[in-house]
Amino acid sequence: MSDDHIPHMKRVAQALEATGVAHVLVGSMSSNVHGFARATKDMGLVVQTDVAGLDRLFAAIADSFDLDPQASFETVTGTLRHIAVAKGSKFKVEVFCLSPDEHDQERFRRRLSVNYPSLNARVCILTAEDVIITKLRWARVKDLEDVKDVIAVQEPSALDWNYIHHWTDLHGTRAKLDALRAEIPTID
Amino acid sequence: MNSEFKPLADAIYRERVLRARRTPPEERLLDGVRLYDQALERMRMGVQLQHPEAGAEEVECLLVSRVQKMWRLSDHGYYRPA
Repeated sequence: MSDDHIPHMKRVAQALEATGVAHVLVGSMSSNVHGFARATKDMGLVVQTDVAGLDRLFAAIADSFDLDPQASFETVTGTLRHIAVAKGSKFKVEVFCLSPDEHDQERFRRRLSVNYPSLNARVCILTAEDVIITKLRWARVKDLEDVKDVIAVQEPSALDWNYIHHWTDLHGTRAKLDALRAEIPTID
Repeated sequence: MNSEFKPLADAIYRERVLRARRTPPEERLLDGVRLYDQALERMRMGVQLQHPEAGAEEVECLLVSRVQKMWRLSDHGYYRPA
């Protein structure tokens, strides 16, 4: 027996497009796009919709996913989270409702819509700057590694440092950012 | 880090960065899921080694239980029930 979870990811991406639910891919999938690929056990999404929109989205994937009846709150921004687990599988989708948090709102506004032929769908992703800002805020060991890797993989001149500094100053994470940047060896 | 190894560590890191830059973002997105699938395969082998008497179905149940434990650990302190 072996696992292949890409079809599950494809299923969710196509359901997002079909239902028209405004969304952005977050978490490790968003840092994989801008940095190094690391193992991703779930698909994290922030959505801007009402209860009917959420119902439409979960109904669209109900043939492949079971919705966990217990929702939860994320403790950094107080965001409400719903989880759907792929049937007979070890892959889950975490759906976060867009919170009133200022940076949550701003990163959602700046999201990029990208066409992924292998998923047969357009998916919205975070900008590299917003991945860096978000992960500095979470600051788990893996998040800080992701921040370093995203900065290293992106050409330094390609990042909007004024934007990053604005938010890291507000969040009190600037010192952490500077320390991580100092650890990155010269690449080019 | 021991300064003796730092040049080697930096060179390995630089190579990883250059390889990532050469890989299309879409592939990096899918690679995350592929790496997870490979990790699950190794976990499955570990479960089978620890439980040589278990059949394929039991191994799968034990694997799912490990994965759920991993999810709970990764949530700990960051989420509370609504």
